Amino acid sequence: MKGDFREKFGRGLVLGGAWTVLAFLILPMVVIFPVSVTDQYYLSMPKDGISLAHYAAFFTNEIWLSATAQSVIIATCSTIFAVILGSLCAIGCWRLSTGLSESVRTFMLIPIIVPTIVQALAMYRFWIDLGIIDTYVGVILAHTLVAIPYVIITVSASLANFDLRQEQAARSLGASMPQTIRWVIVPSILPGVLSGALFAFTISFDEIVMVLFITSRAIYTLPKRIWNGIEDHLDPTIAAVATMLIAVTLALLLLDLWTRHRRQQRLRAAAAEE
Amino acid sequence: MAETALASRPEPQSRASHSLSIRSLSKYYGSLAAVDDVSLEVRQGRFLTLLGPSGSGKTTILMATAGFVQPSAGEILLDDKPITNLPPDKRNFGMVFQGYALFPHMSVEDNIWFPLRVRGVSKSAAAKSVATSLELVQMAHLAKRLPTQLSGGQQQRVALARALVFQPDLLLLDEPLSALDKKLRADLQWELKSLHARLGTTFIYVTHDQEEALSMSDEIVILRDGKIEQQGDPVALYERPATRFVADFLGKSNFIRGQSAGGDAQGFRVKAGEVTLHQAGSQAADQPVLIALRPEKLSVTRARPDLPNAIPGRIAAFNYYGSTFHLQVETGALGDLIVTVPAWKCEIDPAIGNEVWLGWEPDASVVVRDN
Repeated sequence: MKGDFREKFGRGLVLGGAWTVLAFLILPMVVIFPVSVTDQYYLSMPKDGISLAHYAAFFTNEIWLSATAQSVIIATCSTIFAVILGSLCAIGCWRLSTGLSESVRTFMLIPIIVPTIVQALAMYRFWIDLGIIDTYVGVILAHTLVAIPYVIITVSASLANFDLRQEQAARSLGASMPQTIRWVIVPSILPGVLSGALFAFTISFDEIVMVLFITSRAIYTLPKRIWNGIEDHLDPTIAAVATMLIAVTLALLLLDLWTRHRRQQRLRAAAAEE
Repeated sequence: MAETALASRPEPQSRASHSLSIRSLSKYYGSLAAVDDVSLEVRQGRFLTLLGPSGSGKTTILMATAGFVQPSAGEILLDDKPITNLPPDKRNFGMVFQGYALFPHMSVEDNIWFPLRVRGVSKSAAAKSVATSLELVQMAHLAKRLPTQLSGGQQQRVALARALVFQPDLLLLDEPLSALDKKLRADLQWELKSLHARLGTTFIYVTHDQEEALSMSDEIVILRDGKIEQQGDPVALYERPATRFVADFLGKSNFIRGQSAGGDAQGFRVKAGEVTLHQAGSQAADQPVLIALRPEKLSVTRARPDLPNAIPGRIAAFNYYGSTFHLQVETGALGDLIVTVPAWKCEIDPAIGNEVWLGWEPDASVVVRDN
C-alpha cells in the first residue's frame, strides 16, 4: 500500500515537473496571441471583446511594412550567399577529405561557438573601417557569416550519406564533372541544401544583436523595429507581429517535418515492397 | 535452366571488341606499392578475372584502367592507343560497381538512359536502346521503379544494363556479386557468362571469390601483394598451381614437405619423415620439395588401397555438406590431411576415431614453390 503510494507520488512529481517546464517554454508564446487581439491601445489582455485592429495596423503602417521588407531582403540575400558558399565549402572539404580539410570544416563552425555579442562588437569596429556600417551590405555580410556554419553542417551531413561510387559511376558512364555535379551530386544532397537554406533564412530573419550594433537610422529590420516599439510605446501591434512570426516559423517547421516524413515513408514503402 | 531462359532473349547489335595492354603498371601510396610493375595483355573478347585477397592490388589495377587512379608508372593501351592520361568519361568503358551505384533519384529507365543522355541523346531517341538493354537483363517490367524499390539482384541487373547500353569498348566489373546471397550469386554467374558469350565485349572482372573466377573466366590472373603470382586458364591454374599461395588460394590443398630422393622416367621419390611418396615429374635428388595435394584427389578406403601412395590414419573430425563429406584424417607421419569424398559413394563409416587408409596416384599431387 505504502510502496504503491510512494510510486504514484514519484510519478506525479516527475510528470508535474515535466509539464511545468513545458508550460514555461510555451506559455510566453501562447500569451502573445490573446494580447495581439486586444481591444485596448496598450499591451494587455482583451477587455470588452477581441479586435483585429492591431493586425490591420501592421498592414497599413508604412514603418512596419518597410521593416518587414528590409528583413525579407536581408534574409533572402544572406540565405543565397550562405547556401552557395557553405555548400561549396562542404563539397570541397568532402572531396579533399584530408586532415587539413577537416580542420577547415571545424574552423568554419567558430561563428556558432563565439558569443554573438562578441562577434557583434568585433564587426562593429571592423565595419566602421570598411565603411559599411548601417548599410544592407554590412548586415547581409554579417548574417551570411553566421549562417554559413549551419549550411556546412546540413550539407556535410547529406554528403556523408552520398556514395562516392555514384560519382565514379557517372564519370565511367561518360559524364563530365559539371554534368556529374548537376545530375548526380546536387540532386542527392538537395535535402541538406534546402535544410541549410531554411536555417540560414530563419537565423537572419530574427537576428537582432548584430543588427543593433552595426545599424543606426537607415536599416530597420523587423526584430529591431519590435525592440524599439517595446522601448518607445507599448503598442499591441508588436504582439500581432510576434504572433505572425511564430505562425510563419511554425509553418516552415511543419513543412520541413512533413517533407522528411514523406521521404521516410517512401523509403519504408520501398523496403516493405522488397 | 538459367541458360534456356537466356536463349529466348533478343540478340543485341554486334559490337566491336577491343584489347587492352597494361605495361609495367605501378601505383605507390607513399612508400607502399599497391601495384608493383604489373604487365598484362587482355585479348579482345576475353573474360579475364583479376583474383586475389584484399590488398593484392586487383581493384587498383581496375581503377587505373577505368581512369580513377593515376598510375605512378607504366602505361595502359587500348588497341595500342595509350589511354593512361585520359579522364574516365573519355574512355568509353562500362563499369559495374560493388554495391551497384545506381542513381537513387532516377527511375530504372532514367538510370539506363543516363550514359546516352550525357552523350546528347534525348529520352525519346534513346527509348529503343534503353528497352533493348532492359530486355537483355530481363528487367523490362520494372522500368518505372526507383532503385530502392528493387532487390539486390535486380539492382545488379540494372547496373549491368546501364554499363552496356552505350556499347562500351570494355566492361569492367568490380566484385559485382559480392553483396548478393549465395544462390543468387550462382544464378548471376550463369547469366554473366552467357551475356559475355553473346555480346563478345571484353570483360575484366575483379573478385576475391575463387569460385566466381573459376566458373566464369577464360583467363585468371592471381595477384598477391601488387604482383602477378600466376596466370592462365582456370583448369591450368587449378590443376597445376605453381606456388603454395596459388594452391591454397584457388581451391584447397594439403601440403606435404619432404626431400627428393632420386627417380626414373615415371617420376621421383619424396622422403617425408619415415614415409616415401611417389611423385610424378622430375626433380634433382636431395632437394627440399613441397607437395600440394587436393582433398578430392585422395581416396579413402577401409583396407590398404592398391596405389603407389598409401598411408593409414584415423578420422579426427568430419563435416557433412550434403553432396560431400569433409574428413580430417590424422596420419601421424604426414600430419593431418583433409579429404573430400562424395557423400553418396562414401565407402567408409565417417565416424570420429575410425581407422582408414588414404591413397593417391603420383600424378594427383603437384610440386609447388614454397613462398
